[in-house]
Amino acid sequence: MSSWPTETKYISHSTARIDAPAKLTGQAHYSSDIQASGWLYGMILRSKWPAAKILSVNLEAALKIPGIKAAVTVKDFPQTIRYYGEEIAAVAGTSKQACLDALRTIEVQAEPRHEFVVREDDAKKENSPPVWEGAANASAPHVRENGSVDTAFPECAAVIEGFYTTPVQIHHPMETHGNTVSWTDEGVTAWASTQGISSVRDGLAGALQLDHSKVRVITEYMGGGFGAKFGAGVEGVLAAKLSREAKAPVRLMLTRFDQALAVGNRPSSFQKIKIGATADGILHAFEAENYGTAGIGGGGDAGGGGGGADIPMPYIYKVPNTRVKQSSVAVNAGSARAFRAPGNPPASFGMESAMDDLAVKLGMDPLELRLKNDPSEIRQREYKLGAEKFGWKQKYQKPGSSPGVVKTGIGCAGAAWPAGGASKSTQGEAQINPDGSIEFRLGVQDIGTGTRTVIAVVAAEILGLKPEQITVRVGDTNFPPGPGSGGSTTCASISPTVFDVCTKALEQLQTQTGVPDAHGENWFAACKKLGVSPLVVHGQWQQGLSADHACGVQFAEVEVDTETGLVTVKKILGVHDCGLIVNKITLESQINGGIIMGLGYALYEERVMDNLSGVVLNPNFETYKLPGIADVPDIEIVLINMPERGVIGIGEPATVPTAGAIANAVANAIGVRVSSLPITPAKILAALGKVPPPVNA
Amino acid sequence: MKAFEYATAHSTDSARQLVAYKGAYLAGGNDLLGLLKEYLVSPNILVNIKSLPGLDKIERGGKIWTIGSLVTVAQIEDDAEVKKVFPGLHEAASEVASQQIRNVATVSGNLAQHSRCWYFRHRDTVCLKKNGDLCYARNGENRYHSLFTGNPCISPVVSSLATIFTTLDATAIVLRDGKETRMSMAELYQRAWENPLAHNSLNNGDLILRVEIPTTRSRSAYMQISDKHAFDWALVSCAAAAEVVDGKLKSPRVALGSISPVPHQVEAANSFLDGKILDDATASQAADLILKDAKPLEHNAYKMPMAHALIRRTLLKLKGDA
Repeated sequence: MSSWPTETKYISHSTARIDAPAKLTGQAHYSSDIQASGWLYGMILRSKWPAAKILSVNLEAALKIPGIKAAVTVKDFPQTIRYYGEEIAAVAGTSKQACLDALRTIEVQAEPRHEFVVREDDAKKENSPPVWEGAANASAPHVRENGSVDTAFPECAAVIEGFYTTPVQIHHPMETHGNTVSWTDEGVTAWASTQGISSVRDGLAGALQLDHSKVRVITEYMGGGFGAKFGAGVEGVLAAKLSREAKAPVRLMLTRFDQALAVGNRPSSFQKIKIGATADGILHAFEAENYGTAGIGGGGDAGGGGGGADIPMPYIYKVPNTRVKQSSVAVNAGSARAFRAPGNPPASFGMESAMDDLAVKLGMDPLELRLKNDPSEIRQREYKLGAEKFGWKQKYQKPGSSPGVVKTGIGCAGAAWPAGGASKSTQGEAQINPDGSIEFRLGVQDIGTGTRTVIAVVAAEILGLKPEQITVRVGDTNFPPGPGSGGSTTCASISPTVFDVCTKALEQLQTQTGVPDAHGENWFAACKKLGVSPLVVHGQWQQGLSADHACGVQFAEVEVDTETGLVTVKKILGVHDCGLIVNKITLESQINGGIIMGLGYALYEERVMDNLSGVVLNPNFETYKLPGIADVPDIEIVLINMPERGVIGIGEPATVPTAGAIANAVANAIGVRVSSLPITPAKILAALGKVPPPVNA
Repeated sequence: MKAFEYATAHSTDSARQLVAYKGAYLAGGNDLLGLLKEYLVSPNILVNIKSLPGLDKIERGGKIWTIGSLVTVAQIEDDAEVKKVFPGLHEAASEVASQQIRNVATVSGNLAQHSRCWYFRHRDTVCLKKNGDLCYARNGENRYHSLFTGNPCISPVVSSLATIFTTLDATAIVLRDGKETRMSMAELYQRAWENPLAHNSLNNGDLILRVEIPTTRSRSAYMQISDKHAFDWALVSCAAAAEVVDGKLKSPRVALGSISPVPHQVEAANSFLDGKILDDATASQAADLILKDAKPLEHNAYKMPMAHALIRRTLLKLKGDA
């Protein structure tokens, strides 16, 4: 079986992104930069009602607007609208303004339904307006039971109960969803902002009833997906239809407003947790009842796509007696989609908050409670290493005992990413030219994590070249099929594949040229002997070079102003493992990003729906708040390199424990728990009992 | 946005004439662009006033400083003498939005900006402020809204400069119907207190020319709290200004922003503070007076303790080293 080299020059070291110069100089073309010859703008008309029946749509006036070349509807009529922002029609034209003008002229005959529901607790009620006709909004609860909870709780020395809630988090990658699509007689070419060129190809082919071979998807560079960019999307199919009608490529990139409504989100969670331990702090009984919304998805029996709101409980801990009851409630809002570590950040926040509350009840240091109960040997190691680095013992004070108005506190939380692993069907090829230049071609896409650089690092290591000598081409369905970039699987899919291509390249070079070892300094001499024909080598993912199950723990230090409620995160320490580290600098970059995203989840992000009108009230970055540079603390990363495990992805575990660690640090600072994310100044002041009741005017 | 004509005015007279037929003045454009894009305003003509002569200067006087209406927020922030003479004004300017916005945002634009209420700004809600039937915020999502109002609309004024100008007794000189009209900050916003459709007391065509600030108060301070640490609207802002003679406050002024359609000032608090030596208890009593008749709603009552703390802190900043 293959194995990674033990002495390395590039693997586990730091190589700056090979595409950094292209990105910094604007030479890198993101999907939203694509300007295909003769391209048109595309824009979508969305429902202004949260629930309605669309009887008909008249596009005639839109088509008369100067510059408008095509207009299409999304569905046949009548069309049932189930959320504010659902797509109705689309136009393509020579300018954005022409499209905007055209959208305003489209006549929509509709019967608005005045009964709709946007709040989870309302939707749960028996008489709530059904989101899906004839189906209850709340799904039948899934119940899982182990041991005997009812007899176990009375046996506990300490029991706490809490209600921990997390909001709907909107997918807001820096590059919005969208694509340019050109549909001619030869077929379809789509330049898509996607995490999965293959899944977009298959999706478009299916929706347009074309052979897969007639659809090519290209993603040179794209600005983030985080789980929401796998399919062709409504915007992909609409762009294609508009292109066919207009006989020109159509660029349909969503606006930031669109993005807040219809491209997916992380479901909310409302977690009622009861947990008990023995006097020495061993978890003994656990009960959780959770519900959340995946928007119109996951409700009742009607389904709707987008997945449910279930979360893994009791998360990373093993409790002998558990009962977990979960359900999803449908509301009239955009559907959920996979969101960086689906289910895990809310589960981590709920469970880790409950653990700290239990530690308070037990009078125990919360880190000690974790060391007593965490079944993972890797996390045990990480907690100990992290505690040392962080100065946990020196910094830890009893909850609320920090003096003064501005109080400091610390907290920690653990992560797991049991999925991960690799896409075993990953393939790749390299073309080795007689001049010694080499080009790798993989049908994977770089979603910003440094995929190109990982390929160059692995190739340089195995071939004995320098990363800058490796040309990497990705993001094209004409290349050998690669994995979708999700579930933290990309690195573990492509690294063994590139290893295999390189190993085969060295073998074939030897066979063809007679040079016994074409590696390193012999490379150019060997290649020269190829004569006039380049050598093309094909390889695929190989067993034994990658694994799954990354762990990780994070520590947070915060300051809380108890008069204004302002939380300032001073420091986050992340201790992470992901098997063999391939490229340290881009790995650290992903962990930084994960922590910052987790900080946003902890303190700022929240979709706000209006109960009366059913609209999303914060479809912009003014009031959908994301962390800015001034909000980001000192981040320290400690990596545990485990070459013996092979390559494991890091994208997801990096963001999982941040919110729990911050929430615990806040509770440690002020001595009371804010059990609802995001932890805003308003909630801090409320938790401290400082907020007066409202006055009825 | 609706198509519009565009013209550059080189005199205030021509600016007024050009804007007369459903036009809008364009200076920094930060607020206007957002309003245009959401079809919240649809002027026939944009009148660029950036070339009007003499309005882009900060003029220092012995008793009165004059800040031209086209002076940018960054200009105020960066002016070393402003920082010395009106420290609170410097602080307020430096909290406005982001550096890029401050670089182009003008004093008059900051004062005349429209409501940030998320119902008002939403393209698909027709609220009271847009001639609709009801204030959605009142029984809806009102976390960012007012504790005080004189009408059913609870959208607060968000201009940081208005808050500090109020405490400095600044006067806006407004060109109205060809004549210069002097308006105190209270007068500049009075109409928003009474009328849900108004953001301020300016009529269509009114042009703010400059702001005059008396130098009578050598101590001033401004503080705000937002959800985030930068580039975020204030949940509550507070300004205070006074002269300090023998350790005692003289002509003190305190004002709050983001909690009322107008800069919130309570005369009883100002007179209570007059002649007092500042300490925690005094500041706290002043805060009680300022918040006395507040009507917190379901989601904005947190602004009460937050404002209380800000008032105390801002007042205590007036003590300085002396």
